[in-house]
Amino acid sequence: MRVIALSGICLALMAGTLWAHASEQGFVLLLPTDVYIAAGGVTVALTVVLLAVLPGGLAEALFRPAPVPWMRPRVRHAASVLAALLLGWLVWRGLAGTRDPLVNPLPLVIWVVFWIGLVSAQGLWGDLWRGINPWTGPAAIMRRITGWRAPLRYPRRAGHWSGVLGLLGFAGFLLADPAPADPGRLAMAVGLYWCAMLVGLLAFGPAWLLRAEAVTVLMRAYARMGIAGRAGGRLALGLPGWQVLAAPKAGAGLAVFILVMLGSGSFDGLNETFWWLGVLGLNPLEFPGRSAVVLPNLLGLMAANAALVAAFAACLWLGERIAGGQASLRALFCFYAPTILPIALAYHIAHYLTAFLVDGQYVLAALSNALGLGHVHVTTGFLNTPGPVRLIWLGQAGVVVAGHVIAILLAHALAMRTGRGARRAVLGQAPLAAFMIAYTVFGLWLLAAPRGA
Amino acid sequence: MITPKSGLKGTTRRAALKTLAGAAAGASLPLWARYTHAQTAAPIKVGFQVHRTGIGAAYGRWYDRTTQAAVKLINEGGGINGRMVEIVAEDDGTDPKRGAEVVEKFANQHGCDIGFGTLFSHVVIGSAPRAGELKLPYFVVSEGHHVASGKLNRYTLQPGITDVKSQVQAMAPYVAQNLGRKVTMVFPDFAFGHDHRDFFTAAIEAQGGEVLEHIAIPPAETSFTKYFPKIPRDTEVLYHVMVGPAVLTFVKELGEFFGGQGPALFGFIDSLEAVAIDSPGLEFLENSYFWEGMCRHRQPDESADETFYREAVGVDDRGASVSDARDVSTYAHMFGCWETLHVVKAGMEASGYAGPQDRAALIEAVEAMTDMPAGRDHPQGAKRFNGKTHQVFGHQYISQVQGGQLVRVHTTSIEDTLYPDEVDYTTQAF
Repeated sequence: MRVIALSGICLALMAGTLWAHASEQGFVLLLPTDVYIAAGGVTVALTVVLLAVLPGGLAEALFRPAPVPWMRPRVRHAASVLAALLLGWLVWRGLAGTRDPLVNPLPLVIWVVFWIGLVSAQGLWGDLWRGINPWTGPAAIMRRITGWRAPLRYPRRAGHWSGVLGLLGFAGFLLADPAPADPGRLAMAVGLYWCAMLVGLLAFGPAWLLRAEAVTVLMRAYARMGIAGRAGGRLALGLPGWQVLAAPKAGAGLAVFILVMLGSGSFDGLNETFWWLGVLGLNPLEFPGRSAVVLPNLLGLMAANAALVAAFAACLWLGERIAGGQASLRALFCFYAPTILPIALAYHIAHYLTAFLVDGQYVLAALSNALGLGHVHVTTGFLNTPGPVRLIWLGQAGVVVAGHVIAILLAHALAMRTGRGARRAVLGQAPLAAFMIAYTVFGLWLLAAPRGA
Repeated sequence: MITPKSGLKGTTRRAALKTLAGAAAGASLPLWARYTHAQTAAPIKVGFQVHRTGIGAAYGRWYDRTTQAAVKLINEGGGINGRMVEIVAEDDGTDPKRGAEVVEKFANQHGCDIGFGTLFSHVVIGSAPRAGELKLPYFVVSEGHHVASGKLNRYTLQPGITDVKSQVQAMAPYVAQNLGRKVTMVFPDFAFGHDHRDFFTAAIEAQGGEVLEHIAIPPAETSFTKYFPKIPRDTEVLYHVMVGPAVLTFVKELGEFFGGQGPALFGFIDSLEAVAIDSPGLEFLENSYFWEGMCRHRQPDESADETFYREAVGVDDRGASVSDARDVSTYAHMFGCWETLHVVKAGMEASGYAGPQDRAALIEAVEAMTDMPAGRDHPQGAKRFNGKTHQVFGHQYISQVQGGQLVRVHTTSIEDTLYPDEVDYTTQAF
């Protein structure tokens, strides 16, 4: 029986592969995280107070982008076709290559390069996905060769709801599948998904990608957080979030999609905590393995998302009542949901930072191996040392707090646009602001809480 | 007590003689010729069930490094029976259900000759029945008592690492004679802690000592100060086996509570495996005692074989990676992979193993093993294998933290670690 717990401190120190990203926990528990968490909450609260006393147009002015000269490269579909070819090769390696998920290129590229790295880069910089989307190029070539035209119209009423289902499916695979990193299993999932989405694209045209294909919807949503975007037909740079203010209003499907991005990300952290294992009645020092928690984690994922949507909606409804407005809940929900994007992005980056620092080394090792550059030693030594652990934790916390501050600023700028004046804007926002302060504390608690799965 | 066997069994003896003759012939060939022969034959496939993901990943990383180093050495020496050894690694996610699936893949998909390398007990217990059904020799490196307890089957063996029962029991004589006879035990309140409680309590009583108090800590606890007043004032030795993310907090709070004036501390290095013993915050561990399966810090009298092993695995004098001095290995356990692979090699050579049809003969050959002298293939020290219980027994080490260094103060005899057989797997049919 001993060896179950034999992991000792390693249970926490293990370097987090993506699916086991407990990490430098033992040292984190020694940090005064209570103080840090309180400081984070106070920072976000102070932002709210400042906005209440400073001139009303300030937030809006902060997010004004500056145009920059830029020659657009004429690559069109080349990068997309290359991405599709790369994906095909990866799937083949997943099926035929080594079974080791930290050596096989498929899980490394999908989970580390794409899911951690590219998604973060997309959110920090802007729409990188547009060029390397692995469906647009192959579909364009097929259209050119065969003269194929999409025979079906994507039903308008379906909106982004198919995308929401896709995102929940993806999150379910990531969080609840017993072996999402198994190369063969992942190859089947990725290969089938790519084929299915290509069929959808050919059947319904580009609307399919923009509404129903969850990865593209997610990437386009995160692109709104990037500093680089297009304004007035030109490339422009601005503070993270400026594109949220510049973007057209979200539909109900997209609004829910954005909340599911955050809800799933938060549950990704929550499901590893002692608290959640306690809810499931499991010994946190004796985690029985993912196959034992498939159903509870799926149910938890759904419940977390439902709870987040409900809490967000309740805050908006309450704020509108306090401010004396008459807007419908649906309109409010669609109006304010994009302000959640910086929190979702911040949590994505913070949550996966340690995993990226470790698994990123496996990517380098695989590359080095493939290019014949010699052995790369994957180390987790920095996670066993208090200094770096503290630095990493504070970095994660800083990102989470920054995400919430941006969210508050965006919500305030949007509220000012309703033309009700600063006082009513602040009043109407009070419940949402309280929600965001609470979510800051929750997000920081997730980073500090002991984890057993 | 175990009953060492007098010799090899009939069929195995013939096979062994045949192999010895073959080995002698092989040895007379020039090295390049042995190599050429080895490379032309199909490799021996070792299915490596590795904790790549899940809660065992830190151990998996070092089990992998040790395994690769051992296989490299074996292959450089001409392989096994003239065939190269190939590792087929499959991640079990530190998950019993997936563990069983992985064992199945080894047998049915990858054509592996054996399964090897599992560490976490629940994965071993989940996988072993499938290995038995598929008649796949399954060599675990788990430390669990589940092999010797009779819970598993004839196809499951643990010849490269000792089990927790023998380790715990072997600590009692030293503790009683040198640290004190009045012991208080602090342990997490589940099976792992209960094993320590039961095994050590019995062992210390047999030494004329007593456990004054058993303090069971709920597994989800992350603050411990409130439990310390339960430690009786006349405690001479505090035996602690805390595990999990809060273990550093435990050590820190214990230090603050006693202020360096308390009883002697005795623990298992498992609590701090892969953590530098001189980490800030662990100063309080100075002068405390730890069980070590193998001495992490290089001792002045370290054998040439152990030094060779350190270098082969890429570990420095403090048990950390030579590439990063902060990357501390799971030194007290990972030697088990190295030694198990060498036992497999010896077993395959003794049985003239040629393919899956010889799996039963391989198991019989290992069952016939008894004393294994220390050497390059057993750098942790000499071992004694019990063919009936499929469990190996060996020396245990007690180290004291002195100036941030783990200094060995005691080596147990193998006899200290023995206990009566609880099973005879050799009576089970193949």
